Amino acid sequence: MAASVPPGAPRQQPPPPPPNYNPNLQQNPNSLSDNFQNLNLNRPVSMPNSGPRPTPFAQSPQFPVTAPSPPMSRPGPPPPGALSRPAGTPQQSFPPNVAPVRPFGPPVGQSLPFGSRPPPGSFPSSMGGGGPVGVPTSGVPPSSAFPSSGSLTRPVGATPGARPFPLASSLPFSSGLNVAPSGASDGVTSNGPMAFAASGGPRFPPAGSGAQQTRTPPAGPPSMLTSARSPQQSPSMRFPPVQQSPFSAAPQNAPPFSSAPPFSAAPQNAPPFSSAPPFSAAPQSAPPFSAAPQSTPPFSGAPSFPAPSPQGPPQVSPFGAHTWSAQPVGPSSSIPGSAQPSRMFGMPPPLQTQTMTNMPPAMGQTGAPMPASSKIDPQQIPRPVPSSTVVLYDTREGNQANPPPPATSEYIVRDMGNCSPRYMRCTISQIPCTNDLLTTSGMQLALLVQPLALPHPSEEPIQIVDFGDMGPVRCSRCKAYINPFMKFIDQGRRFICSLCGFTDETPRDYHCNLGPDGRRRDADDRPELCRGTVEFVATKEYMVRDPMPAVFFFLIDVSMNALQTGATAAACSAISQVISDLPEGPRTMVGIATFDSTIHFYNLKRALQQPLMLIVPDVEDVYTPLQSDIIVPVSECRQHLELLLESIPSMFQNNRTAESAFGAAVKAAFLALKSTGGKLLVFQSVLPSVGIGALSAREAEGRSNISSGEKETHKLLQPADKTLKAMAIEFAEYQVCVDVFITTQTYVDIASISVIPKTTGGQVYYYYPFSALSDPAKLYNDLRWNITRPQGFEAVMRVRCSQGIQVQEYHGNFCKRIPTDIDLPAIDCNKAIMVTLKHDDKLQDGSECAFQCALLYTTVYGQRRIRVTTLSLPCTSNLSNLYRSADLDTQFTCFMKQAASEIPSTPLANVREQMMNLCVNALVSYRKFCATVSSSGQLILPEALKLLPLYTLGKYYNVHSFCA
Amino acid sequence: MTEFMDLEAQDGVRMPWNVIPGTKQEASNCVVPVSAIYTPIKAFPVNNNSMPILPYAPLRCRTCRSILNPFSIVDFAAKIWICPFCFQRNHFPPHYASITDDNLPAELFPQYTTIEYEPPGPGEKSSVPPVFMFVVDTCIIEEEMSFLKSALSQAIDLLPDNSLVGLITFGTLVQVHELGGFGQIIPKTYVFKGSKDVSKDQLLEQLNFFIKKPKPSTGVIAGVRDGLSSDTIARFLVPAFDCEFTLNSVLEELQKDPWPVPPDQRSTRCTGTALSIAASLLGACVPGSGARILAFVGGPSTEGPAAIVSKNLSEPIRSHKDLDKDSAPHYHKAVKFYDALSKQLVHQGHVLDLFACALDQVGVAELKVAVEKTGGLVVLSDSFGHAVFKDSVRRVFHSGDYDLGLSSNGIFEINCSKDIKVQGIIGPCASLEKDLIAGFDQEAAAVVMARLVSFKMEIEAEFDPIRWLDKALIHMCSRFGDYQKDSPSSFSLSPRFSIFPQFMFHLRRSQFVQVFNNSPDETAYFRMILNRENVTNSVVMIQPSLISYSFHSGPEPALLDVAAIAADRILLLDSYFTVVIFHGATIAQWRKAGYHNQPEHQAFAQLLQAPHDDAGVIMKERFPVPRLVICDQHGSQARFLLAKLNPSATYNSDAQIPGGDIIFTDDVSFEVFLDHLQRLAVQ
Repeated sequence: MAASVPPGAPRQQPPPPPPNYNPNLQQNPNSLSDNFQNLNLNRPVSMPNSGPRPTPFAQSPQFPVTAPSPPMSRPGPPPPGALSRPAGTPQQSFPPNVAPVRPFGPPVGQSLPFGSRPPPGSFPSSMGGGGPVGVPTSGVPPSSAFPSSGSLTRPVGATPGARPFPLASSLPFSSGLNVAPSGASDGVTSNGPMAFAASGGPRFPPAGSGAQQTRTPPAGPPSMLTSARSPQQSPSMRFPPVQQSPFSAAPQNAPPFSSAPPFSAAPQNAPPFSSAPPFSAAPQSAPPFSAAPQSTPPFSGAPSFPAPSPQGPPQVSPFGAHTWSAQPVGPSSSIPGSAQPSRMFGMPPPLQTQTMTNMPPAMGQTGAPMPASSKIDPQQIPRPVPSSTVVLYDTREGNQANPPPPATSEYIVRDMGNCSPRYMRCTISQIPCTNDLLTTSGMQLALLVQPLALPHPSEEPIQIVDFGDMGPVRCSRCKAYINPFMKFIDQGRRFICSLCGFTDETPRDYHCNLGPDGRRRDADDRPELCRGTVEFVATKEYMVRDPMPAVFFFLIDVSMNALQTGATAAACSAISQVISDLPEGPRTMVGIATFDSTIHFYNLKRALQQPLMLIVPDVEDVYTPLQSDIIVPVSECRQHLELLLESIPSMFQNNRTAESAFGAAVKAAFLALKSTGGKLLVFQSVLPSVGIGALSAREAEGRSNISSGEKETHKLLQPADKTLKAMAIEFAEYQVCVDVFITTQTYVDIASISVIPKTTGGQVYYYYPFSALSDPAKLYNDLRWNITRPQGFEAVMRVRCSQGIQVQEYHGNFCKRIPTDIDLPAIDCNKAIMVTLKHDDKLQDGSECAFQCALLYTTVYGQRRIRVTTLSLPCTSNLSNLYRSADLDTQFTCFMKQAASEIPSTPLANVREQMMNLCVNALVSYRKFCATVSSSGQLILPEALKLLPLYTLGKYYNVHSFCA
Repeated sequence: MTEFMDLEAQDGVRMPWNVIPGTKQEASNCVVPVSAIYTPIKAFPVNNNSMPILPYAPLRCRTCRSILNPFSIVDFAAKIWICPFCFQRNHFPPHYASITDDNLPAELFPQYTTIEYEPPGPGEKSSVPPVFMFVVDTCIIEEEMSFLKSALSQAIDLLPDNSLVGLITFGTLVQVHELGGFGQIIPKTYVFKGSKDVSKDQLLEQLNFFIKKPKPSTGVIAGVRDGLSSDTIARFLVPAFDCEFTLNSVLEELQKDPWPVPPDQRSTRCTGTALSIAASLLGACVPGSGARILAFVGGPSTEGPAAIVSKNLSEPIRSHKDLDKDSAPHYHKAVKFYDALSKQLVHQGHVLDLFACALDQVGVAELKVAVEKTGGLVVLSDSFGHAVFKDSVRRVFHSGDYDLGLSSNGIFEINCSKDIKVQGIIGPCASLEKDLIAGFDQEAAAVVMARLVSFKMEIEAEFDPIRWLDKALIHMCSRFGDYQKDSPSSFSLSPRFSIFPQFMFHLRRSQFVQVFNNSPDETAYFRMILNRENVTNSVVMIQPSLISYSFHSGPEPALLDVAAIAADRILLLDSYFTVVIFHGATIAQWRKAGYHNQPEHQAFAQLLQAPHDDAGVIMKERFPVPRLVICDQHGSQARFLLAKLNPSATYNSDAQIPGGDIIFTDDVSFEVFLDHLQRLAVQ
């Protein structure tokens, strides 16, 4: 690993941000591209050459990893696709176009390997999600069935990379998302455009063909798997993982089909598939659409197989050979099988019609089992078509909001008054005038807000506006910030708030005459009057105290297990390497503590001597041992830090303490951070077993209870007790954000632990099973991105809406103490918040409805800023307009987030049914009210939602495997 | 008087009544209780006649466990001795077989009424090194901290090489320093919450005592023999020669307690918790061997079970008045805590020494019980920079002349005859009144009265010490004086009693009785010293000695009276806690003019120097080191002298005083006091 991970190489972006540095503005040109698609991706760490090297990718993927998860998903679903086709109309099914996509798929898949872990990032459960792989065990039988489904999967595979990311971060399901059709190509490029491209090429060069071919060879499904993997492994440790994962997915599928090659090969190699077809039959019976329940059965089977845990390993396995063996089982493949039904959807609808696609009656009939297949015209299946061209996108055109480009495409935004869709996008680009209309449409109204999202390098940076002591101009009633939609009247002496409609006096200093067009003459000179996103310099009124310094506190597990697995050494080394990446300046503070059954702080400020270890032995009632000196400016303690980080692994070398006081340690570190707030980065390797918030090995109970049904098992996804939640709320109150890096080889009850990061705006990273060989590089990369990415502290966010609409709920990782605002002890460019909306009144047809997100935060350099993002959308009372302006990517992301949040508390069957219903309702309504021509046997899809069935299917599987 | 001195020189004992009243009734009529003041490990001069140390175990009486002594009746023929306490007949053991009239064992020599045994114990017990656990307050200002650091590092230099040393610092939290981390890259400290009392078991657990060697399931955990690995003990208690470097480096980095203290608050100081942790640690590691906890405290405890005052500055620290009215909310809780601590320490055989240095009170009144019961030392001073503290610390560790001969873990048994109220020493008893007077030791009696009145003031509510002392004195005078009833002028006291009223007069005015100007801490401190000092020193506390220096005569004792002040005199006052050198107005003028620096005024220089030399001698011998005050007549510091003088001349006396000084007081002078006494005694 070490070799591969050239630390030096990956980092190329040292440029210290200038004081005024705007987080959003990326320094690196290269990074820009990254920004694009991989929100989640840490910066793709642009390493042109390094690309091939796993590290870069791995690293970048990490977050994205979540994205990677997609890969995982792929394995599952894709295979089915491949297989399925064979069954149905193998040869035909593959559209020529598809083929190219697939090839990419593998590369993407590579990213996946890493990805598998990443998923954890979002939710532990999601990890389970990794499950896609996990399913494998039972795999064989299922696999056969699924193979056919393969076709669908493929497209999915390609896409996964791209879309999954956005969702992935927040949603466990990301994998499901991956499935998303969005141009596979996009995915590829986006993910690590650089990385992938580079790596993908070299390694898999054959990717498409080569890889597939290799796979194909293995005839026997089981054997296939093994063989395929093994070869990969041999190539190179790092790469293998990457490749493997991609492949692994494939292999899994393959095995069942025997014609594993399905993915790549499938399209081209029709023959192999043909054999597969046999299986396909089964899946079809399950037609997803027809009824979720039906489909369920197949899935249910899958769950039974491997518990989530198995899945986990497989993912990880990439590196570890042994792990693979387990994975090979390829239960995932089984799942994929289920996917087959999806085809049905896709196939019929010819893409041609813009508004809607019709499914051939035969196809459409969900009920129709295999036989239908013959009638399906695979070429008509709507699937994501990647576009390689960069879209130039103006947010408004002709004084009208412009519907945003697909989230996964590469686009360059020109802010014409509405914000860039990167910062905020709505599920529908037109707002229904009434709640009834919305209900009828079967769609959801929600915003996805990512206030610090990375812009495209070619985009104009966000402008910073300083109103001086006066502070930004705001509506005196609703407190909305000045924006391009405020209407100035009365020679500019007054203005009408675009949100609440109240008429305000223009502050004298801000007065300006109006031009003949009714706009202020200075409108184009003032960013706040012509840009959808601006950043205001906050005045004292926006501060309850001086802006906090950038504080990074590292908390490292030094229990026996952590030492023996090398996790401690990996953490220390990663920290040691990132110290130099911390923001420059006297405001950057650092602290370190270690813990096993006691907590050890270090006094880093001893002028003449080495650091002093301060041990807090009481883990039931913790405290911080020093008021100052354990968190010191990084510039004053570099030497101490280096010495300390170097010494920690050897100091605890012979530690015999197996217990871990995670909760107490986090609490103690919090107490140290309490006066300033800051980021707490915890490296944890074992189940917290003593002190505050100690947990028990629930997973054992879960396993033993599995026979009692899902009712019991899903409890494992819920936090074990409320102690940690209460702690987390306190942390958030004092602006402490906790990120947890779980480097483990055992069960650590992430469901419980994750409550802390979730509530404090943090993140979980999961390295399982931790390997001292392959993981340190990834850990380092994750940590580095965590620290260097654009971010802010002590943030408060609120979304305001025009009268008639109000915020219903916020979803994401944050703490909410009052209904209208959310508190984010830390926020970074990877964090997105979903905001659901509801009507509280009728809107005027033809008017515009505005949404404004205000994020008050402190930059790492200690400036208090307010980032204001405004989006104004037309209102409509026409149902067809709604369908036409639906934003599938956003809608689907919302579905995913909701499903993810429900899984721990709702029986799986219900969640799946709900997912199906969301899809079915929208389509039924469309058919009922908007489809002019329809025969009973036809499936009609609105153009904007044409991929909805496909995505839903992917998610469906994903959820399934996740729970398995 | 001298016979009493001789007795003290031989046995370290002084008693007010060296003749014992024959009946209980008589004893109670004696007013001054029958009692003894004993200095158990008084250093005896080394000479031919000095106390021998016997290399064998003492011979004890079968029934009362008293030890064979010169007062035993020995039947050499039958090889039997009769215990003088219980009259039990005891056979000599075989190894006394050769005993004869001419061949007496040392313990039967008449002059060896005090003797020491040093039986060869199992495994050379004497090899157990002394243990010093430093418990250091860090809630003090930087300046004090630097004084304290330098005092400590001096002390460490003076430690015997083989002694074991531990260090605990405290403030808001308690830090137990791991001094024995040999080969460790990074020094370690265990940090405990100050507000929470940690039990011994928890402490051991939390200090990782059971990591290498599991905790024994039963039994007391104490020391290496009882389940602790010596490795773990060696982490906290390290031989002085091994840890000097570590210790000094820890001290060097020692900072003021870093927790912020709001301006309206006291700093958070958990003295009680720190002492408790120190006691538990010693109890676990070195039970039963001589260990001392040396506590350096710079302010009041405000945190934890033994807080003496809240953190809020608006709440004053308890005064005598609060204690009298029982309105000191923390007092009883803290005393109870330290009482428990003292029991623990006594049980473990460990000593608590207290060095309290602060302008404010630190809680000596509460800590008194723990210090006294463990036989610890106490030093009270204004600052860690004050000579009283610095010199005292040096004295504690200094060896050689004037060393304190610190010993510990002693067991003090007293055997008494059943019928006779005698303690420790036996004298011929008579029931005659006159003889009683002959056996009266006025000084010892005064000291006993002082201890008694102090004790009663602490224990009895609503106790009026002045009244009680007056009544006792009057009672005494009417009992032992010669007078004709109702004729004050006929009153006279035997020489044996003659100075007793004077002692009482000064006792009434002493810090032991007049507590108003002192804080409870100071009072506690004075009483603790009184209770541990011998008669001579105690008398100085009650009635300071005054020496006058002038050109007319050599140094001579002067009357403790304002009349002793003269412009051309230098006075040296020794009130035990304070030594005052007082220059008369003229002397002061000359000195300021620098005459003593001129060769022709050598005599003056010598006169100036003489009291300093004498003061130096006093200070060298005394522990705690007294405060030295050098002042001039009419100077503000002169109050230290004036407060102790008999106010024979006050602002309302008519007569012009020779010394030219008066005392601003309403207190009665000694003459008036005696007047009244005579009148009342003869009634």
